[in-house]
Amino acid sequence: MDRLLGAPGDAWDVFRRMVPPAFGEAVDRGVPGKVLESVHIAWIGTLIGAVLSLPLAFLAAGNVAPVWIRTPVRQLFNVIRAVPELILAVILIPITGLGPWAGALAIGVHSVGTLGKWATEAIEGVDPGPLEAVAATGGRWVSGMRWGVLPQVLPVVTSQWLFRFEINVRASAVLGMIGAGGVGSELVSQLVFRNFPAVGAVLAMTIVVVLAIDTASAAVRRRIIRGAVSGVDEGEADRNAAVLTDLTGIRTP
Amino acid sequence: MAAVLVVAYTLVAGRTVGFDLSTFWQVWSNPLWEKFWPIPWGWVLDRHNVLDPLVETFQIAIVSTLIGCGLALPLAFAMSPLTAPNRVVLVVSRSIMNVVRAVPDLFWAKLLVTAVGIGAFAGSWALSVFSLAVMVKLFSETVDGADPRPLEAARAAGGRHMPVVRTGVLPTVLPEYVAYGLYVFELNIRASVVLGLVGAGGIGRVVEAQRQYFRFDRVLGVLVLVFVVVFVIEQVSMAVRKRLV
Repeated sequence: MDRLLGAPGDAWDVFRRMVPPAFGEAVDRGVPGKVLESVHIAWIGTLIGAVLSLPLAFLAAGNVAPVWIRTPVRQLFNVIRAVPELILAVILIPITGLGPWAGALAIGVHSVGTLGKWATEAIEGVDPGPLEAVAATGGRWVSGMRWGVLPQVLPVVTSQWLFRFEINVRASAVLGMIGAGGVGSELVSQLVFRNFPAVGAVLAMTIVVVLAIDTASAAVRRRIIRGAVSGVDEGEADRNAAVLTDLTGIRTP
Repeated sequence: MAAVLVVAYTLVAGRTVGFDLSTFWQVWSNPLWEKFWPIPWGWVLDRHNVLDPLVETFQIAIVSTLIGCGLALPLAFAMSPLTAPNRVVLVVSRSIMNVVRAVPDLFWAKLLVTAVGIGAFAGSWALSVFSLAVMVKLFSETVDGADPRPLEAARAAGGRHMPVVRTGVLPTVLPEYVAYGLYVFELNIRASVVLGLVGAGGIGRVVEAQRQYFRFDRVLGVLVLVFVVVFVIEQVSMAVRKRLV
């Protein structure tokens, strides 16, 4: 009980010692570079996830894939989503060695789960017309996917990738705490030394970069969806907007 | 132009992180994989080794979901233009919550471990803060989208701010509130599994300890167990959420 009541005070004490943050010291120690490394890790990880998940999503969608392939692929997504990046990194580090590549791989593999699930939902929501048109001209399954489905889902899927990138920036910052590259290692080492002003600086830099990326990415996502919405019929526009609202909490006008 | 920039950035980022395609096939020939097998089920299903910390993980998740979502209810109303008492409260609470959400969950855990000591207590605190931030974000958007007419009716009848919000908005958004609460609980279960890696209690500390001894077979066993439990909880929670909204 004593601990419970004392905790806010203790936490406040720690936060007070971080002010003013020691930005000069943090820059000397190369913290900005570490923050950027976290962003790089998140970017590469997201790309790995995107490249691996998109073909799989076609195999998992109910309207384009037979049941014998879509059930195992969906279960694969479920399994991947259930294993956190950090745990993946723990397993990958002995294999790839300490460093940012372990982090990028862990994020990439974990992203396959969510990205695959979202892309599957987007594919299941497409207009079947173009797909039937390809089938009617005798096109093969792959052509149907490439010309009938992909153009319809690409805007939504791209914004899903960007949204995942935002999440991954936070995840990659965390991954540094166990030695998988990025800003997390800085935070841990400064906390170990009880160097609170430097901790404050590390936190401030992380927050600024995360907020900047969130804002920029949200703006790009909005433009992608708006671009996709103009030039198609209204029902489809509504559906695209609904899919995105569902995923990201953005409300398209 | 934009495409060129994206490709250029990808190349730079790829070089910095040491992108190496060969890892994808070299990974399979690594001798370390033998250490992952066979899973020692006798050890994994032991109460003292794994099951007690697993229960602790759920306790952390439950406590922090309750605290976070409880605090989120009034805060979300303060953060929505529809129900905020005034503009100052709106702007201040929004900016604070944006900053809180920009700090990753395990950073919170590490900071609070430093502040209040190692253990589940710090973990519960960290997850409470984080679920508060997530919940407020999700739920305040629901409040934004709530039907303003009951609110206007209550205001027109001369109601004061708090009763107006309680009777005009709360009933319409309550199902979403519970649904988001369950979603945050799922997030917390996942997060509380890894909290132990930074010393904040739960099943993660077992994973961390066994990893340091290179007992990857035990790590894998714990992970399989966690996966099964998390999967079951998610399915139940998703089924409930579907019925609610």
